[in-house]
Amino acid sequence: MSEMQSRVATADGPPDGPAKPVNKGGDLTQIQIIWRRFRRHRAAMISLVLLGLIVAFAFLGPLVWPWGYTVDSDIPSNAGPSLEHPFGTTKQGTDVFAQTMRGAQQSLKVALTVAIVSTVVGATWGAVAGYYRGRTDAIMMRIADIFLIIPLIVAVASINGAVRGGTTWYAVALIMCLFSWATVARVVRGVVLSLREQEFIEAARAAGARATRIIFRHLLPNAAGPIIVAATLLIAVAVLTEAGLSFIGFGIQPPDISLGKMVESARTAAFTRPWLFYPPGVLIVLICLTINFIGDGLRDALDPRQTMVRR
Amino acid sequence: MLVYTARRLAVAIPVLLAASVLVFLMVDLSGDPLSDLRMQQPPPSEEVIAAAEARYYLDRSIPERYWLWMTGIGGNGDIGLLQGQFGPSVRGGAFDIGEELSDSIYVTIRLVTAAIIAALGLAVLSGVVSAMRQYSKLDYTLTFIGFLALAMPTFWLGALIKEGGLWFNQTTGTGFFFTIGANSARVSNMTGWEYFLDSAGHLVLPTITLMLTSFAAWSRYQRTSMLEVLNSDYVRLARAKGVPNRVVVRRHALRTALIPLVTVATIGVVGIIEGVVITETIFQWRGLGYFFIEAVKAQDAFAIMSWLMLSGTLVVLANLVADILYGVLDPRIRYE
Amino acid sequence: MQIRRKMLGAAAVGVSAVLAVSACSPPEDGAGGGDATSVTWIISQPGSAWNHNTPEGGSVYLIQMVHGILPVPGYWSPEGQWEWNTDLIVNEPTLSEEDPLSWTYEINPDANWSDGEPITADDFIWAWKMNSGDDELCAEQCNSRGATLETLFESVEGSEDGKTVTVTMKEGSQHPGWFTFAGDGLYPSHVAEAEGFDLDTPEGMLESSNYFNDNPLTISGAQYIFDGAPELDGRIVKVANEEYYGEQPEIQEIILEVNTEESSWVAALTNGEVQGSSPATWSDDVLTQLESLENVEYGVQSGGSWEHLDLNTQNEALSDVALRQAIFTAIDVENIATRTYGEKFPEVEPRTNHVFSTTSEFHEDVITPTGQGAGDADAAMEILEEAGYELDGESLTLDGEAVPALRLRYTAGHVAREIIAELIQADLAEIGVTAEIETTDDLGGTLFEADYDLMIFGWSTTPDFYSSPHQYWFSESGSNFGGYSNDEVDELVEAAMNVPSPEESAVLANEAAAIVAEEAYVLPIVDTPAYFFYDTTYLGNVTDNNSQSRRALWNQHEWAAVE
Repeated sequence: MSEMQSRVATADGPPDGPAKPVNKGGDLTQIQIIWRRFRRHRAAMISLVLLGLIVAFAFLGPLVWPWGYTVDSDIPSNAGPSLEHPFGTTKQGTDVFAQTMRGAQQSLKVALTVAIVSTVVGATWGAVAGYYRGRTDAIMMRIADIFLIIPLIVAVASINGAVRGGTTWYAVALIMCLFSWATVARVVRGVVLSLREQEFIEAARAAGARATRIIFRHLLPNAAGPIIVAATLLIAVAVLTEAGLSFIGFGIQPPDISLGKMVESARTAAFTRPWLFYPPGVLIVLICLTINFIGDGLRDALDPRQTMVRR
Repeated sequence: MLVYTARRLAVAIPVLLAASVLVFLMVDLSGDPLSDLRMQQPPPSEEVIAAAEARYYLDRSIPERYWLWMTGIGGNGDIGLLQGQFGPSVRGGAFDIGEELSDSIYVTIRLVTAAIIAALGLAVLSGVVSAMRQYSKLDYTLTFIGFLALAMPTFWLGALIKEGGLWFNQTTGTGFFFTIGANSARVSNMTGWEYFLDSAGHLVLPTITLMLTSFAAWSRYQRTSMLEVLNSDYVRLARAKGVPNRVVVRRHALRTALIPLVTVATIGVVGIIEGVVITETIFQWRGLGYFFIEAVKAQDAFAIMSWLMLSGTLVVLANLVADILYGVLDPRIRYE
Repeated sequence: MQIRRKMLGAAAVGVSAVLAVSACSPPEDGAGGGDATSVTWIISQPGSAWNHNTPEGGSVYLIQMVHGILPVPGYWSPEGQWEWNTDLIVNEPTLSEEDPLSWTYEINPDANWSDGEPITADDFIWAWKMNSGDDELCAEQCNSRGATLETLFESVEGSEDGKTVTVTMKEGSQHPGWFTFAGDGLYPSHVAEAEGFDLDTPEGMLESSNYFNDNPLTISGAQYIFDGAPELDGRIVKVANEEYYGEQPEIQEIILEVNTEESSWVAALTNGEVQGSSPATWSDDVLTQLESLENVEYGVQSGGSWEHLDLNTQNEALSDVALRQAIFTAIDVENIATRTYGEKFPEVEPRTNHVFSTTSEFHEDVITPTGQGAGDADAAMEILEEAGYELDGESLTLDGEAVPALRLRYTAGHVAREIIAELIQADLAEIGVTAEIETTDDLGGTLFEADYDLMIFGWSTTPDFYSSPHQYWFSESGSNFGGYSNDEVDELVEAAMNVPSPEESAVLANEAAAIVAEEAYVLPIVDTPAYFFYDTTYLGNVTDNNSQSRRALWNQHEWAAVE
């Protein structure tokens, strides 16, 4: 693909006048262009298929699998893998295969929530700050800095007891959002700062467009490339962070379950009951690996600066 | 530059303060640190509980507690960050927060330094090799290893690495690797060489665990920036002029390509803080990570706050240093 | 190579341990590099403060750490019998017959602290004042974690240069556990005096209590002494005390290492970095790994705590005794015991008495006669139908109104309680009662606010049971979280603390337990087993002792070094 092509697609506006670089008519072809470029990234394509399978496993699997993820008195205690229970069973008498599906589902829910909420909040915040510049920018970014200073793992751990009635997936997700939107805000602000100086924005301003319109109709869509990449990678980060939190005892708590929680519960079982330790761990690795490759593919497809390098 | 630094620091202080207020609130809302005391069997008398509340300033309101923690004015002389006091620990007087914190720093700094040096060295090496042999088998392999390391939960990786160390010990019949602690108990009787071996044996496995994530991220970065430079006009020009490849890479390309990595790595120090918490748990080091976990378990507000101020300051400084370094290394950037 | 036993089988273990040891190969070179008389032992949690009489210091971990440093008048044997420490006390103290009750210790004339100062009545007096709860003796009650025995003392006096100690109780007072006085260890009062505290003033006593809380002892009155700077949250090195007045221990150096990461223990053990532990937690996986190791001896027995299900009587639905009885009847305790601990400890049994485990000589089964814990849904339904409840489809109703869902809570991350909660939930579903599982991060807070309908938690068992029934069930007790109130029980539990012998106290405790069982307030579930392990290439003659907080360390001075 040519360097020119990719530039037109994302960052720079068309050279002539106030035409919107992203418009309804152009959307389809643009997505097609991106898709075509994405498809060329073989690892990303394989990853996309694999991730699709994992998502189906997590969300559709429980609908067809005969066992639930909770204790069932018909399930033997501590049994190794068998045809009936492919990943074996726990001491309590739960089917690890069903638990893995449920755990993957909860982990993905946490990760998607974190990615979507912090991207929406962070992108808006960063775009507004970057658009207004000056004092507004300074104050807004200092507020974001407050959340950047506090390591996420620390924040979640310290707030732990405050979550009354047990730590469920959405409680964990919301706290993680609170401390990850600022990263996105910073990235988007940087992009917007350079975008706002470009002609199509100046033209929109000259044509009398209001600030909100410029931010949401012009700036954000044009910063979509870096935002989408950041959001994608955030999913992987969130899965890992949730797992790390579970490990030090501050993540999702039973009866809710997640992949991280499963590995945590099985931390002493690596050699004695490997069926408890490996499936959730391998699934975490697979989710993160595929998402990283997809992110890489998206970067190639969306980000011209990167594409310049990776020809 | 001096003015710039001073201004940045002046802005950082209110941010740090606001962060401390936020965490103070969170810790305060997270529960009663004396609930364990009340739970004891037989239960302590009301008088003892009241004395404990007074001793740990739990009888004051939240704003008052924060004010005390910061200034120490109106306290019993054991509190007030501005006076160099970290406040009393709810775990009792034997736990001196300041002293424990500095002991922990001493332990952790060894681990973090080793990990950063190893991660940087390996990242540059693999990044450069990857870029030079772009799209070769080696590049793909290194890329895959990097992605794999990025996808592994630290604690899972740590468990595997520990097993690797044990396997090495068993197959070679030596006791080189240790799996817990930062040093053996009897270091005072050791010769210098024995002490070195003991420290190294304890250090290697946690260092590998801690560095892998950073290594993976940084090597990706190094590869990208190296490619960028290799494709730049001036490198092409140097090549066209007939400068030998080795010289081009070492003198022209690598030096320029290191600039972004330096800044990224400086900021990346922050990410290592999180890794330290988990690594120190797996290998049972008594460093900052352990300090933090135990403080949270005990709901020891002043200990958590001290820890946060330390890590917060580190983050602020790392960002500042990164910005300044960027300017020093890249003369095109000027500070207003 | 494994030994399983109940508490009473200790003697047999001693023999088999020696046999096992003699069959072992010598330690391999290079594995950890420790010499045979230095042993590293894992402590599973950090301590907080150095004075075991205070709330911060009063943990089993601290008591393990200062064991062998502080002299003790006596201790509980593994069988739950009190034995006097004949190194320190040369007579056999007995309780006087007439009121006020008193007894006398005769201290070994050679018994000195390692700095040469004698161990005297002053040290006993300090222990009394410390826990007296009397503001005239101790300001702010010396930050004592609370005791019942010492508050009943009229005086502790020394004679014969302080080598004879006479303890006199207040008139009309008696306590079944009088002999346990200072059982966790005596502190050196002369050290406090040398620091400038006037122990005859309440303020001086408080200062000395704080001093001992904040600083580790640099001297010793028993077999070992701290070497270097011991760390409550890290590593503690104890070496043999050369000034000890009794027999010298064979193991010259015991290093205690705090290690909170269960999954690292077996790796460190096989790597020669540690030689054993008697952890406070339970793990099937650690035991499975130990099974496969050569040169490692380990054992499992009923432990120092027991799990139970508490009901909150302030919940309107649960104020009905019939519903409570039905809930307890529907729960299959046998199944719970097997599923929680049965795999690694097949001898596990349901607990059938709130105060005594089955191994106690005072044990009476108060649960089985009531039919509770049987997992009998039909019997439970019978009780309910008699009381006017109806099973409407899947849910239980009373007078047309559905019985509300009950919140079943336990400490987050506690594996056994997680299993118990899930099994109880399944059992209750059979009688139409919905239990919603909710974990808590703050057990103390949840209990104090009675923020639960059903609660699973543990109490510790000690041979020193006399005040336990009072704590559990006395209507005004701060630990009677579910708000149980019964005048007859109040009388019984008060009386149980105020008799001169354990036997009399036990009779009253059992009577109270039977009433509580009948009214279905607390359902005992299972005694938590505990395990210990050690590397036989280093050590011999190690036995566990669940009657003491010190666990397997209890006879560390009798451990044998393996050449």
